[in-house]
Amino acid sequence: MKMLVVEDERGLAESVSAYLTKEGFICEIASTYAEADEKIFLYRYDCVVVDLTLPGGDGFSLIKSLKSLSATTGIIIISARDALEDKIKGLEIGSDDYLTKPFHLSELNARVKSLIRRRNFGGHNEIRFQEIQVLPNSRKVYIHDRETPLSRKEYDLLLYFLSNIDVALTKVSIAEHLWGDDIDSADSLDMVYSHIKNLRRKLIEKGAADYVRSIYGIGYKFGLS
Amino acid sequence: MKLLTKTNRVYLSFSTGIYLLTALAFYAIIKLVIYDEVESRLLVEKRDFEAYIQAHNSWQGGYFVENKIAVVPVKHALPTEDFKDTLILNRYDHELVPFRELTYYTRINGQAHRVSIRKSLIQSYRLIEVITVSMIAFLSLLFLCSFWFQSRLSGQLWQPFYNTLAKVRKFDLSSSTPLHLPAEEITEFNELNDVLQKMSEKIHQDYQSLKEFTENASHEIQTPLALINARVEQLIQSDTLTESQSYWLDEIYRASRRMSKLNQGLLLLAKIENRQFADVDLVDLYVLITEKLCDMDEVLQHKQLRVFTKGTATFPRMLPVVLAEVLLSNLVSNAIKHNVPGGLIRIESTTGQLCISNTGPAPTIPPDRLFERFKKGRDATPYVSPTPHDNEGMETIGEENAPKQYAPMNSVGLGLAIVKQIGDSYGLTITYTFADGEHRICLR
Repeated sequence: MKMLVVEDERGLAESVSAYLTKEGFICEIASTYAEADEKIFLYRYDCVVVDLTLPGGDGFSLIKSLKSLSATTGIIIISARDALEDKIKGLEIGSDDYLTKPFHLSELNARVKSLIRRRNFGGHNEIRFQEIQVLPNSRKVYIHDRETPLSRKEYDLLLYFLSNIDVALTKVSIAEHLWGDDIDSADSLDMVYSHIKNLRRKLIEKGAADYVRSIYGIGYKFGLS
Repeated sequence: MKLLTKTNRVYLSFSTGIYLLTALAFYAIIKLVIYDEVESRLLVEKRDFEAYIQAHNSWQGGYFVENKIAVVPVKHALPTEDFKDTLILNRYDHELVPFRELTYYTRINGQAHRVSIRKSLIQSYRLIEVITVSMIAFLSLLFLCSFWFQSRLSGQLWQPFYNTLAKVRKFDLSSSTPLHLPAEEITEFNELNDVLQKMSEKIHQDYQSLKEFTENASHEIQTPLALINARVEQLIQSDTLTESQSYWLDEIYRASRRMSKLNQGLLLLAKIENRQFADVDLVDLYVLITEKLCDMDEVLQHKQLRVFTKGTATFPRMLPVVLAEVLLSNLVSNAIKHNVPGGLIRIESTTGQLCISNTGPAPTIPPDRLFERFKKGRDATPYVSPTPHDNEGMETIGEENAPKQYAPMNSVGLGLAIVKQIGDSYGLTITYTFADGEHRICLR
């Protein structure tokens, strides 16, 4: 999977690229409009992450030319502008998702993966981790091939974990993934705790190993320890 | 008071005053002239009388007509000679007739006499009357004419001023149409228009640059914050972090999230103040607030809050949909945040009023300062799970992450300020009361 990160803030571009590389993507960085324009003209990418305000040009026009060159490339906008008009305009000209800065890398990673799943398999795929199998299209979870009913939030939580295997996830990023940015933190952190507790109980009851680990002061990690 | 009314009023009172003074002066002068004339005639007659007495040394009367002269013998002659007004009954029609009388003393045949020579004033009075009446008529006519002319003239003279006023009033800062004021014939108005035009251009420019500044500032702040967040997220992937390092990282992470929220809140406030939300729609706030509560269902259940809604009337208001959402979600999350476990939230919509009340501890800041920026009450009561955590025999997952140890994340203290700002900008009166352990915020 090839990715292009178009972002003028060098450190942020590096962070995103490093995070995604660890997740198995081949990542390239473009920090100006001209550089990005040249890269999308020369190479094909599976997914492009674009900042809207770039030196030398506007992210929107980059998206437009990208769409005309390669219609199948997934596009995610990352922008500090959180005006509704920008979001609508972004989606109208063909981007697939919109993340407002500052965002969680784990959230970006989950969105990239979900986008690539939708692009490549039209959702008719499965996610497999050890004995856990998830069918995103029907939102069904199987453990040892036995269906395991989960609540909506527990399902979202599991999918978020599966997109970020062996990654330390902050409580805040989990809360904002489940309920959006505006959720009141104190309450949502409690709810994260109880959802994780329930998810873990259900998975273990159906015979899965315990993959959730808590990290002191930070949050949780899902994976083989 | 309108300018023209004021000038008319001043003009009217001033010219009435002048007019009355002129009339009085005129009257006095005419009277003076007439008296002077009458008195000099009386003196002439006195001389005639003296000459007659000298010639005849006696007085039989008959030389003068009735009432014209009276000669009365007195004991002592006085050396005085004076004029006075007197009324004498007319013999025929029994009317009192005004006379001017000259009284002096003289000796006739060695005997002292008081002599009064009189002259009728009736003709002179008629003259004064005629002159006064015609003067009143002419002056009134002149007065009315000049009043009419003056008000017409000043109406026309001030017309450019009223045009300018109407244009300035219509001028809308947030719209992109600049203020256009035409050149006028009168220098002062021309200067006024010039100054206003320049001023409006400057204001418009400042407004635009402020708008751009707030947007750019937000962008410039959010990007480094995004970098901090990303770097912290990378850092926490390290397996070698000590407990205190993790704690510090968590603090950095939360602080940067808070800063970002603060920045977004301030930007929103600035945008509302600058009226950058243009499209207003008719929004039923009662329907919207019940929807917002439904969205928060999970939190409500979690905090075991009961919700009662009582709507006897809809509450439609004109405001931008985005801001209606912000307004109500701030109110709802406020009601949840400052609630007590097992408490309640009440929504009441009656004609012209929408109220949201919630149970909670008494406020720690005076109610009138509650809507100020960065005015925070004590932090929301940390939630304590009502049932002990039963882990059903499982190995505990990170008991250190259990809710009882969460420090409640500080709110940025802008929620109610934003509510107030939206209210002020779109004609909603927002009031807060606390009674019987319930906080109550009402929109009118």
